[in-house]
Amino acid sequence: MANVAPDYDKAGDDGCTKVKVICLGDSAVGKSKLVERFLMDGYKPQQLSTFALTLFNYQTEVNKEKVSVDFWDTAGQERFNNMHPSYYHQAHACIIVFDTTRKITYKNLPNWLKELREYRPEIPCLCAANKIDVDVSVTTKSFNFAKKHNMPFYFCSASDGTNVVRLFKDAIRAAVAYKNNSTDFMDEIMRELENFELETDKKDNEVDSGLDSTGNSDEQKQTTAS
Amino acid sequence: MGEEIEVKKCGVKFKPPAIVVTYLLVETSKLHRRTMPLRNFTKNSDVSKAASDLRTHPRHGQFVKGLPKSQLERLICIIRDKLCGMSLEASLARNEEMQKIDSDEDLNKVDPELLARKKSVMEDTFEKNQKKPGDADFEYDLQVDFDNQIVETCEWDSEGSNEDF
Ligand SMILES: Nc1nc2c(ncn2[C@@H]2O[C@H](COP(=O)(O)OP(=O)(O)O)[C@@H](O)[C@H]2O)c(=O)[nH]1
Ligand SMILES: [Mg+2]
Repeated sequence: MANVAPDYDKAGDDGCTKVKVICLGDSAVGKSKLVERFLMDGYKPQQLSTFALTLFNYQTEVNKEKVSVDFWDTAGQERFNNMHPSYYHQAHACIIVFDTTRKITYKNLPNWLKELREYRPEIPCLCAANKIDVDVSVTTKSFNFAKKHNMPFYFCSASDGTNVVRLFKDAIRAAVAYKNNSTDFMDEIMRELENFELETDKKDNEVDSGLDSTGNSDEQKQTTAS
Repeated sequence: MGEEIEVKKCGVKFKPPAIVVTYLLVETSKLHRRTMPLRNFTKNSDVSKAASDLRTHPRHGQFVKGLPKSQLERLICIIRDKLCGMSLEASLARNEEMQKIDSDEDLNKVDPELLARKKSVMEDTFEKNQKKPGDADFEYDLQVDFDNQIVETCEWDSEGSNEDF
């Protein structure tokens, strides 16, 4: 059990790039099963005792660059309809998940996205429509949420494995790209403003950034931190 | 360990609290019955913990692993309801309700025990459809493109107030 969360701004051992990828979505949509399916049994979970979170480390390479990814999973905190700020802190990419067998989980996506954007206005976010094994006919339908927010969209199943690896590899690539391009100091601001209410209402008018947007960062920082 | 068995029937005993399984021993084609007491089980005990204790029990484990997890939890819950003074009819009805998956029910808002039960019900389908390493059709990086199969907009998009969508 560790008590301190890793610092993703420091370079990792032997100079590898450290990124943090988080999963969001309602209880029981399959977030934990998706992470497990991607990692199979090659993972080393680490419990962060302070916040009841689980962290899975994964070593890989992206364009010859050594990357150390931490996937963060909740220990059921989504039951309280929101996550501890430390969950979002320094995250480089997010996988937002709904359950294709339960409408409510789709209807709740805007709430999760809104919370994400309060803490991480511009990190890439990927949308996963999980459990397609239950009724594969859902894959003939389009879901507007992802399109509207410019997110890459994946029909997947943690059970039979459809598109899970693709989803996570894309998330890792997006996280690395985001980290390399951005001179993001939102996290520093966050730390200083810990007990401060950020102004978030304005953000409703902003366009949410999907995979390929890392521009406009200065503008967004100002609206958020003013 | 290791004898191949097929679970045929399961039930409960209230005094003392126990799970009873009737199973076929494949080698001999004979039916056997096994009674597995729930140790220190009270009306305050945690159902899903009692179920997982039994499933990982060194001797009993193999006899309950053939049961869907949700069914084992249901049996244990019926025992606990009885300890709480509930009638069998009421308990059966309540358990049936607990095992329903409702597309509109917000599972962020239910208590942990009910969430665990719903997850167990879902787990049954998960295991049925699962492709594991070692299965003939298992592929780690299974990629399927659905883009060109889209024929309609999901009905979830076309109802209610949708400004957020
Ligand atoms: N059929 C099916 N069931 C799934 C799938 N992914 C998860 N589940 C089931 O859904 C339930 C919730 O999964 P879990 O990973 O615990 O969800 P979380 O609360 O979002 O972490 C579990 O019982 C899983 O077995 C899937 O792709 N297909
Ligand atoms: Mg989980």
